[in-house]
Amino acid sequence: MISSEFKRLAIANRGEVAVRIIKACEELGLETVLLHSEADIQTRAYRMADKKICIGPASTAESYLNIKANIQGALAGGAQAIHPGFGFLSENADFAQACADAGLIFVGPSPKAMRTLGDKVSCKALAKKLGLPLVPGYEGEDQSLANLIKVAEQISYPVIVKAAAGGGGRGMKILRNSNEAAELIESAQREAQSAFGNSVVFLEKYLDRAKHIEFQIFGDASGRVIHLMDRECSVQRRHQKIIEEALSPSLSPELRRKMGEAACLIAESASYQGAGTVEFLLQDDRYYLLEVNTRLQVEHPVTEMVMGVDLVKAQIRTAQKQSAFSEDPISAHGHSIECRLYAENPYQNGVPSTGLLGKVEFPEGPGRRFEFGFEEGDQITSFYDPMIAKVIVWDESRPRAIQKMIRVLKDTIIFGVHTNIPYLIEILGHPDFVSARMTTRFIDKFFPEALKARDTSELSEKAATQALSYFSGSQLQVKGSSFDSPWQSPWRGV
Amino acid sequence: MKIKFEHLGQNYELEAQQVKDQIWVHFQGETFTVASDSQKRKQRQASGAGKSGKLLAPMPGKVTKILKSVGDLVAVGDSLIVMEAMKMEYTLKAEIAGKLSALNCKAGEQVALGHQLGMVVP
Repeated sequence: MISSEFKRLAIANRGEVAVRIIKACEELGLETVLLHSEADIQTRAYRMADKKICIGPASTAESYLNIKANIQGALAGGAQAIHPGFGFLSENADFAQACADAGLIFVGPSPKAMRTLGDKVSCKALAKKLGLPLVPGYEGEDQSLANLIKVAEQISYPVIVKAAAGGGGRGMKILRNSNEAAELIESAQREAQSAFGNSVVFLEKYLDRAKHIEFQIFGDASGRVIHLMDRECSVQRRHQKIIEEALSPSLSPELRRKMGEAACLIAESASYQGAGTVEFLLQDDRYYLLEVNTRLQVEHPVTEMVMGVDLVKAQIRTAQKQSAFSEDPISAHGHSIECRLYAENPYQNGVPSTGLLGKVEFPEGPGRRFEFGFEEGDQITSFYDPMIAKVIVWDESRPRAIQKMIRVLKDTIIFGVHTNIPYLIEILGHPDFVSARMTTRFIDKFFPEALKARDTSELSEKAATQALSYFSGSQLQVKGSSFDSPWQSPWRGV
Repeated sequence: MKIKFEHLGQNYELEAQQVKDQIWVHFQGETFTVASDSQKRKQRQASGAGKSGKLLAPMPGKVTKILKSVGDLVAVGDSLIVMEAMKMEYTLKAEIAGKLSALNCKAGEQVALGHQLGMVVP
């Protein structure tokens, strides 16, 4: 029997979520051990953690996805518990089991609950048994291309193909007709193999005007499961969420009640403990259970802002067999929005932008929260996810939160790599977003191409000239000045 | 570094920094990079003007699949090479119709930004 007391916690993750967990530990008086790859020494989490243990080279398969290396690292660092963050091993039941076998407390649900709910096949079987609505699909063992194409035809296009082991948009493609089916299924299998080490894919009917709604659930140490209301994450590109908000502006009180009950029911029947998310698609006021994520979500801050809780501390307290919240969070207050900042060039169709980070400055203020893992002088590499920071705002109403977010993004300074900030600002101002009519097809429909470069004004030309002449004394040969890359697109064809 | 300047009788301030060989500017809610004309010419040469048969790596990353062989005829929009970076896949498509005359990469190879992966001749 493992004691539920612990003083030192290892973090099997990187970037902003590692920083988030370290901060929670600092407040709780716990020491931290960061389990990092060779490529992640110049990062904020590395500078903040009490102890750091290198668990392998940059390649995720050899470091962040390596169960043995993480367990050995945690033990070597003298940790008694491991927080997996999100992504990487966070939904891997074998990892949770390996922690238990090594005498380490896994901050999350039991391996059994992870298998029941995290595995899409068994999750759907359970949902079916409980009478919860599901989207038609195929989760069979015959993974041959010929069979998958045949099944896709039966379900009828559009059909979505997704990684059995995954989440977060990796290995997901939409098949619109039989012509592109083979190429896209193979591509999804490769992405699944690369991201999760497992090429098995599932097929599902693609709902073409659905909203993505999810419920934050929490199972406390006493075995009780509550939900902390919902989030809407309909703004997605390549099935990766970009903007999330709480609460969803799309639910009637009746729908919210029913979906919340469904979320608690499935979690309870799996004896779920800790933070989790039950995802739904909502189309024409009908909801379908999509999947359950047996971990903390990237977008957990918007729930924290409207519910007035700290989900990471609640996770750790639950792992310590203490009460998760001092009182039950039951109602939401105001509105919160999160934008994910990706290191990519929006004027070049989102091509990843890597390199040395220059100045990074976030405009602090009431109701503004910044989660970031990298600072000036750090290197953004091509080994990992392009998300470099999250910006979260809270305000009294949705229109005010949108207004605040736009201003905050405009005042955010990130030099050295391009970011999707201009793209986020365009989305936040789009009539379909403002009126909350967005569906999961929002990006495909309204932003299918790279952002168009805006015409430069005389004033901004002047600003460019000023900057250029200031620095030209040192290295640059100036023969007149002009704008360069965000708007000009030297690389094409992606 | 804050730089103050005047335009049509009004005072303005911008934030600027040189990171490696590029100058970054944040001004009135927008971030952009600035280059001198000589630098721009260099970049243009690297990318080729307009639509080109040159297949250049749009990012540093790994070549995961090559979909055509040297000598194949390709049409505009045909998928030629699949790359992966930051755990996402990108497909390079033909910009011009013609014949794939060269391939300078292998599946599994790590390539640098701007590396010429292949060539389509009209």
